[in-house]
Amino acid sequence: MSSSAPLVTVEGLVKHFPGPRAGQVIHAVNGVSFAMTAGETVGLVGESGSGKSTIGRAVVKLITPTSGKIVFDGQDVSKTSPQAARPLRDRMQIVFQDPYGALNPRMTVGNLIGELLKLHTELDREARAVRVREIADQVRLSAELLTRFPHELSGGQLQRVCIARAIATRPKLIVLDEPTSSLDLSVRAGILELLRDLQRDTGVAMLFISHDLDTVRLVSHRILVLYLGMVVEEGPSAKVFEHPVHPYTQSLLSAHLPPDPDERLARHVLSGEVPSAVRLPSGCPFAPRCPIAMPVCSQARPAMEMPATGHQVACVRVKDGSYRLPDSARRNVGDSVSHARG
Amino acid sequence: MTAVATTEATRPRIGSRLLGVIRRSPTFAVGFTIVGSFAVLAILAPLIAPFGAIEAYPFEVLRSPDGKYLFGSDGNGMDVFSRVIYGAQYAFGIAVPAAILMLLIGVPFGLYAGYVGGLTDEILLRIMDVVRSFPSIVLALAVVAATGQSVVNVVLVIGLLDSPIFARIVRSEVLALRSSPFVEAAVAAGNPTWRILFVHLLPNAIRGATALIAVRMAWAVRISATLAFIGVGIQPPTPEWGAMIRQGAEYIISGEWWVATFPGLALVGVVLGFNLLGDGLQDLLDPKRRTAAR
Amino acid sequence: MSLLEVENLHTHFITRDLGNRIRVATALNGVSFAVGEGEVVGIVGETGAGKSLTAMSVIGLLPPAAKVVAGTARFAGDDLLAMSPATLNRLRGDQITLIVQSPKTSLDPLKRIGDQLVRIQKAHRAVSDDEARRNAVEMLATVGIPDPEQRARAWPHELSGGMAQRVLIAMALVNGPRLLIADEPTTGLDVTVQAQILDLLMELVQARRLAAMIITHDLGIVAHYCHRMAVMFAGRIVEQGKVADIFKRPAHPYTKALIASTPKQIAARGYAKVGGLPPNLYALPSGCHYRDRCPEAEAACTTEPPLVTVRDGQRALCHVVARGTRVQ
Repeated sequence: MSSSAPLVTVEGLVKHFPGPRAGQVIHAVNGVSFAMTAGETVGLVGESGSGKSTIGRAVVKLITPTSGKIVFDGQDVSKTSPQAARPLRDRMQIVFQDPYGALNPRMTVGNLIGELLKLHTELDREARAVRVREIADQVRLSAELLTRFPHELSGGQLQRVCIARAIATRPKLIVLDEPTSSLDLSVRAGILELLRDLQRDTGVAMLFISHDLDTVRLVSHRILVLYLGMVVEEGPSAKVFEHPVHPYTQSLLSAHLPPDPDERLARHVLSGEVPSAVRLPSGCPFAPRCPIAMPVCSQARPAMEMPATGHQVACVRVKDGSYRLPDSARRNVGDSVSHARG
Repeated sequence: MTAVATTEATRPRIGSRLLGVIRRSPTFAVGFTIVGSFAVLAILAPLIAPFGAIEAYPFEVLRSPDGKYLFGSDGNGMDVFSRVIYGAQYAFGIAVPAAILMLLIGVPFGLYAGYVGGLTDEILLRIMDVVRSFPSIVLALAVVAATGQSVVNVVLVIGLLDSPIFARIVRSEVLALRSSPFVEAAVAAGNPTWRILFVHLLPNAIRGATALIAVRMAWAVRISATLAFIGVGIQPPTPEWGAMIRQGAEYIISGEWWVATFPGLALVGVVLGFNLLGDGLQDLLDPKRRTAAR
Repeated sequence: MSLLEVENLHTHFITRDLGNRIRVATALNGVSFAVGEGEVVGIVGETGAGKSLTAMSVIGLLPPAAKVVAGTARFAGDDLLAMSPATLNRLRGDQITLIVQSPKTSLDPLKRIGDQLVRIQKAHRAVSDDEARRNAVEMLATVGIPDPEQRARAWPHELSGGMAQRVLIAMALVNGPRLLIADEPTTGLDVTVQAQILDLLMELVQARRLAAMIITHDLGIVAHYCHRMAVMFAGRIVEQGKVADIFKRPAHPYTKALIASTPKQIAARGYAKVGGLPPNLYALPSGCHYRDRCPEAEAACTTEPPLVTVRDGQRALCHVVARGTRVQ
C-alpha cells in the first residue's frame, strides 16, 4: 500500500479445524490475503463464523495455519509453532475480548504487567517495578491498583491491564480481538481513546477485530469485510462505509442500528443466517443468501474486482456495475415506529 | 437490616470468620477438631504419655484399664494408653510425607498431561490407569514384601500408589482451564511451557487436589495400619496402631479386649477426622457444590 | 391509566460475606415508570444498573437473595407485588410474558417445540389438544418459521440461534398477552439476524397493540424500536421521556455521557470525558448516585436529587437540571 515495506503480509491464509463429528472439517478461514504497514489500524468486520478471530490468532502465532503464508517484520513465520514464536512475542501482542478471563486470577495486577518484562527483558526486579509504574501510567491505571488482584477491578480497569500487558514490550503489532465488546458503553469510549493515543505515541500497528460496525469505522484506517472465512470487500474505512459495494456489506450496514433515532436507513433485511462452515457453499460464499445472486455465483469463487470507488470487492456484479441491491428489498423500519410514536 | 450489619461488623474479625466457616461447613469444623486433637497428641506425646512407647513392665502384662494404665497394658507389659498416643506420631508420620509424595508425583504429571493433551496425555493416562487398576492393598503388600518392612518403604508405596488420583484430578481441572483465555494470554505473552504449567495453571488447578489431600491421608493411615495388621508393614513393638491391633487381636478371645480396642478406636477416629476434614474442605472450596447440596 | 405502572420500586440483595456478616446491595432505589397499551418502552443502562432486576421484580421472578422491600407495580390496576404467588403465576406466561436473552437455554431441551407451545397454552386455559396444536403451528408461521407444520416437530437443539429466538417469541405471544417484556432479546445474535428478529417483534407488537418493555444496553435498538425510553443508573431511572427528545436533548449528565460515548458522536465531536467506576451497590453515595462520576456535580448533589420535568414527558432526576429548568 504505502512506500514502506509492510509489517505484516498474509497470503492465502487457510485454517481448518476438526469438526464436531469425526471426519468433518470446519473451514474457518478460506484464503485470506492482506497486508498491514506500521502505524496502521486495519479493521476485520464480520459476523459469527466469519473467521475474524481465527485470522487474528494466526497472525500472532497462537495457532498454526493449515496453509498460506504469514510474513511478520520481514520474517516468514507461517510454520512457526506457538511455542517457537516466543522470541517474536515482544514484537506482537494480542488483547482479548473478555478481560475477566484473560488475566490469571491468582496474580496481582503489577505482576501481570511485569510478567512481560520478566519474559522479554533483562531488567532486574527494581527496574521492572519502575517500568510497570510507567506503563500503568501510560494506560491511565492508578498505581494503587498494582497490588490488587483482578477480581477487585472493574471491567474497564481490567481491559486497561490487558492493554498494559500488550504494550509493555513496545510491540510493533497488537491484535485487538473485540476489545470493547464486553464493556459498558461509557467505558468503551475510554478504551478506544486510549488505543488511539497509544498508536499516536508509539506508532504500533493494530488489527482491530469487531462485529460492531460503528466502533470499527471509528478506529480503522482500512477495513476488511469477511464472510465465511473469505474477504468479500476491502478498502479505506470511509469508502467501505459510505459506498458499500458487495451485497453482503450493503445488507450488513443496512441491518446495523445507529444510536440515533433520526438516522433513517434503507433496509435490505437478509433472510436466513450464516451457513455452517462445515460445508462451504461452492462459488461465492454469500450466494445462497444474496438477493441478487446469478447462476454463475454458485459456480466459481469471484475474483477481487476494483469498482469505480477504488476499493476491492469480490463480486461478479462489480464489472457491469449492477451490484446495488434492488429497491424491492428496501424497507424503512423507522417509519412504522415514528408513525406510532407521533 | 443495616442495624444488623453494623453490629456484626464490629465483632472481632477472627471470631466472625470462624463462625462463618462453622456455619458454612460444620463438617469441616468437626473434622478439623478431630484431626487437630490427634496432631496435638502426636506433637506433645512425650509430655502427655505417662510411659514410654516401648517401656515394658514384664510383671504387669495384660492389666485391665485402671488408674495407672488408663487403657490397660498389653502382652509385653507396655501401657496401651501411652502407645496409642505415640501411635498418633506414626499415623501423621506416614500420612503427611505420603501426601506430599502423592502431590509431588501426581500434580506435575496431571499438569503436563492435561496441558499437552493428545497422544502424550493418552499414554500418561494409561500408565496411571495401570497403577490404579491393581487392587492397591495387594500391590502395596507385594511391594513392601519385596523391598523390606520399613516406615520409609511404606510411605513410598502409599505415595506412589495414590499419586495417579492427584494426577487425574489436576488433569481434569487443567483440561477445563486449557482453553480459558488467560492461558492463551500466557502463551501470547511468551511464557515457556514450564511457566504456563507451574505459574499459571497450577495455582488455578490445585483446588480439587487440596480438598482431596485429607481424604487420601485417611486412606494412607488406613492402608499403613492394614499392612501392619497383616504383618508386612511396620513391625511390633513399634507403636503403630495397625501393629497394635494385630497384637491385641489374639487376646480378644481370652477377654483382654482393651489391647486391640483402643488403638482401633484411635484409628477410626483419625480416619473419620481426615474424611470429615476433606469433605468439609470440598464444601468450603466449592461454593457451587455447597448450594447444590442444600 | 397505563397498563403497567411501577411506583417507587426498591429491591435489595441481602447476602452474607465470608466473615458471616450481612451485606445489603441496594440494587433498586425507587424506580418509577409506566408502560401504556400499544407503547414500547426501552430501558437502557449499564451492567448493574438494575434493568433486568426491575423486570424481574415486577413479575416476581427474583433470585432467592433479592427482596422487594418497597414499592408497587400495578398491572391493569392490580398490584403485582401484593399478589399471591398463585395469582401471579396465572398472569405470567398469559397476560404478561417474557422473552429472554439466551434462546437456546430457555427452551426445554427434552420437548419438541410444538409440544412446548401446546403446553404453555394448556397451562393457562382450557383448550383442546387439536386447537392448541393449530394455534401453535399458526404462531410458528406468524413468527416467520418456514414450513411450520414440519418445524413444530423439531427439537430445540436443531434450531439455529435466530430460529430459537423466533420460537421464544412465538411462545411469548401464543397466549395473547397484554404486556411483553423482552430482556436483551437480540444480544448474541448476528447483526443481520438481529434486524430480522427486531423487525418481526415490532410488527407483532404493533399489530396486536401490545405494551412492551425492551431491556437493552444497545442505544441503537432503543433509538429505532422504542417510543419512550428510561435511562437507569445505580438502581434509579435518572431520565425518561420520548426517544427522539432524549437523543436530541439529553438533560441528565449521565444520559449525555452515554450518548457522547457512541462511536458516531465520538467521530463527530471527539472523545468526551466519560466513564469511571461502576457504582458500588453496597455503599452508594448519598444524594445523587452519579455525582462521583458527574462532570457537572456541585455541592447540592450530596442531597437527594429532585425529579424535574424538562419538557412534556421528559423528566430527569438531577440538581443541575433543576437549577436550569425550575422545578415543577
